[in-house]
Amino acid sequence: MSPALNVVGRSVPRSDGIGHVTGRTQFATDHSFPGMLHLKIVRSPVHHARIRRIDLSEAERVPGFVCALTHADVPHNVYTILGLIGVEPEEEFVLAEDRARYKGEPIAAIVAESEEAALDAVARVKLDLEELPAVFDVEEALKPGAPIVTHWGNNTFMYEGHPCRRVRFGDVEEAFARADHIVEGVYNTKPIEQAPIETTGCIAVPEANGRYTVYTNTQAVYFSLDNTSIILQIPGNRLHFVGGTVGGGFGGKVDVIVEPLATLAAMKTNRPVKYAYSRSEEMQVSSTRSAWRIYVKDGVMRDGRIIARKVTSYADSGAYSRQTPYALTKHAANASGPYAIPNVSIDAYCVYTNRVPSSAMRGFGITMASFALEVQMDKIAEVAGLDPWSIRFINAYRDGDIKPHRKVVEDATLIETMQAAAALVGQDLPAEFRAMTSARRSEGGA
Amino acid sequence: MTVLEYLVPRSLPEAIGLLERHGPELLVMAGGTVAMPLINEGISLPERVMSLRSAGLTSIEQRGDVLSIGAAATLTQLVAQDGVALLSEAARNTASWSIRNMGTVGGNLFTPPPGGDVAVALLALDARVRLSGPHGERVLPLADFYTGFMTNALAADELLVEIYVPTAVGETAFIKFGRKHANTPAVVTVAIALQRRDGRISAARIALGAAGPHPIRAARAEAAIVGSALESGVIERAADTAAGECRPFRDAIATEWYRRRMVGVFVRRALEKVVEQEQDDVGEGE
Amino acid sequence: MGSKIITFVLGGREVEVMVKPMTTLQAVLRYQLGYTAVKEGCRQGGCGSCTVLVEGEPMMSCLLPVEDVAGMHVTTLEAITPADGLDRVQQAFLEHGAFQCGYCTPGMIVVSKALLGHNPRPTRQEIVDAFAGNICRCTGYEPIIAAVEGAARASASKAAQPG
Repeated sequence: MSPALNVVGRSVPRSDGIGHVTGRTQFATDHSFPGMLHLKIVRSPVHHARIRRIDLSEAERVPGFVCALTHADVPHNVYTILGLIGVEPEEEFVLAEDRARYKGEPIAAIVAESEEAALDAVARVKLDLEELPAVFDVEEALKPGAPIVTHWGNNTFMYEGHPCRRVRFGDVEEAFARADHIVEGVYNTKPIEQAPIETTGCIAVPEANGRYTVYTNTQAVYFSLDNTSIILQIPGNRLHFVGGTVGGGFGGKVDVIVEPLATLAAMKTNRPVKYAYSRSEEMQVSSTRSAWRIYVKDGVMRDGRIIARKVTSYADSGAYSRQTPYALTKHAANASGPYAIPNVSIDAYCVYTNRVPSSAMRGFGITMASFALEVQMDKIAEVAGLDPWSIRFINAYRDGDIKPHRKVVEDATLIETMQAAAALVGQDLPAEFRAMTSARRSEGGA
Repeated sequence: MTVLEYLVPRSLPEAIGLLERHGPELLVMAGGTVAMPLINEGISLPERVMSLRSAGLTSIEQRGDVLSIGAAATLTQLVAQDGVALLSEAARNTASWSIRNMGTVGGNLFTPPPGGDVAVALLALDARVRLSGPHGERVLPLADFYTGFMTNALAADELLVEIYVPTAVGETAFIKFGRKHANTPAVVTVAIALQRRDGRISAARIALGAAGPHPIRAARAEAAIVGSALESGVIERAADTAAGECRPFRDAIATEWYRRRMVGVFVRRALEKVVEQEQDDVGEGE
Repeated sequence: MGSKIITFVLGGREVEVMVKPMTTLQAVLRYQLGYTAVKEGCRQGGCGSCTVLVEGEPMMSCLLPVEDVAGMHVTTLEAITPADGLDRVQQAFLEHGAFQCGYCTPGMIVVSKALLGHNPRPTRQEIVDAFAGNICRCTGYEPIIAAVEGAARASASKAAQPG
């Protein structure tokens, strides 16, 4: 007999519920400290430019101006968020040096006694810029002669020496040659802003013991702490990050943007410093879900079996890679969909353009693959003269199948999920699909 | 530059005096729903701001066959008045509850498109506006108030103080089409007021929002249907003519092409709404 | 010009604040008085997270210079919360799981209180209309609407009880 369950199957009050309904939950910028300074950013007004000169002289005269930070003040100015898991090279500038690569890129930080003074001083910073040609489309960015965004000479993230993440399984060309139908499609998606109601922000507070307490709404407290430690070149034990209370994230708060500068300003001034995005900044310069272009080519037999799938995907990473290289790796592992296809070839490119850097958002890498592939499945059904249910049952993967990236499928539930969905919408399924299971084919899975 | 002074006059003469004293650099604000977001973001950096919220311009009253609306009456007050149904409907379809509690009828006339839905209804109703300055007052048709995108006939020392709306308006219809059902900028807003005599349209006013630099009348569409019965061919003619003559723009909400198409669609639907209302009235009378 | 002293009534208690011209009610509440149930999501009147009641009517405190509420009654979620336990609207939000991240919740509850004050038995459409200015990115609104319906039912059944 199993022990009584205390939680499973019961409605349990959330531990943060009382705080939320009374408004007593303290979000990062609900904290306030005596003598707190405000940090605002001077941003590139253009998509791509050489920075000739930053003139701070007028800004410095604004009453309430405390200090300005430029790249020269940042101990380790060029970093890569995923450097913590071994991703190279370091390529994002905390504050731009000789070049701004996207509209809104931080060039300098202004620290002032009040937010108004900081905004006023930001407006008085004079930038001497030489505007450069910019590129906004993934395939344009890969053409010869395209403006180069990165500092290493091409516009792709390099995966172990290759310009894309590759998966090779079987022989797609041989299978295309003997397929009854070839079905091709191209699928485009737009960037999407996560738009949390609480904007990205933090407050860095110098403590008497020489440490810095950082109240932050990051979704990734230790990621932020470790990257801040690298950027500021101080041991992690001098940083105490207080987080976990996030006013909406959806992947939009996993980049390390506000903490390093706020902490650096706190170090310079020995005062608490707040750096929080305005709503406009959240919408215009915080990273979005990437724009994608996905080409799919399928070889299909008369009975509906897909025998070959070739996918070429481009994710628009924007000016810096942030979490997008990881998204492409996830994408490559899933770009054949939850289907058993014996011949698969996948090329997934993480492309740099002069758009705002893109990054994480709910299922990034996978969501866009699902969108493209499921529309493609309907298209295949049409070409093969089958209905959309049949095409999916015929091709559904089962336990024990090998996915193109050599992962053995375990705990597959596509067939059972489709059966349940059919029941919910009142769709009659043929007996063969009703009897189908995800069990290993060798164990009698029909 | 942070704001040096926020002036809150308690009467109209005081407000006019302050405007005369500080000149055109004084930012005049009523509900603050348009000006404050710009000030908060540091986009607008006024030195001096005057609030009209407490200057005694908030009453809405019917005088004879005219509804007089104080320029600082809120949109919530406009929803509640029962003199002109079209105005309640337009106000109800503007912004959200909190914003209607703050935003004013006068302020709506200064709201750039695609905002300013109440102004579209006021234009269809042939409203007049009373302007007041240190040297006296004048009353203008609302159609003459607008001179361009965010420009108007107001002299530098004048304030918009009152709006007059005739209550004998004939048959009316209002449709705001946005990307959401509520609290949304317009793709297009259509307000219509018609008079019919012996089954024929004797006067027509078709006002469009988000279809030009300010709320505009579709004058050619109006002329095309006066004298005709309100039947499907006439409705189509009005819709096509309005789509042809409007001057829409592209923004984050819609393209120029789409807005022009939607002007046609929603002028047609608004006129069909007038027909439906007539049938409902006939039905109720039987 | 320098700062001014402004007096208003906050949650039934008279408060006096010294402010620079045109300081918003939101900034006064959050940063001078520590009333951080008043949130700061956009400062454009677009999200509703800073909603307070002024003389019982919902308004966006981010768009309101504090000079404009001189002498008036201002109510925030802090004043809605009873000394002991929860208000029935708060209780309903808790029971219906009408929040995830919690950032929009104070504004939602303030608007709910105002709605039920005006209209104790609102229809679903009236509830939806009342929330047109309050954005929630987590819940999809359904549990919030259910919470308001639940709070309305709870007070109706309480009112129906004898004695």
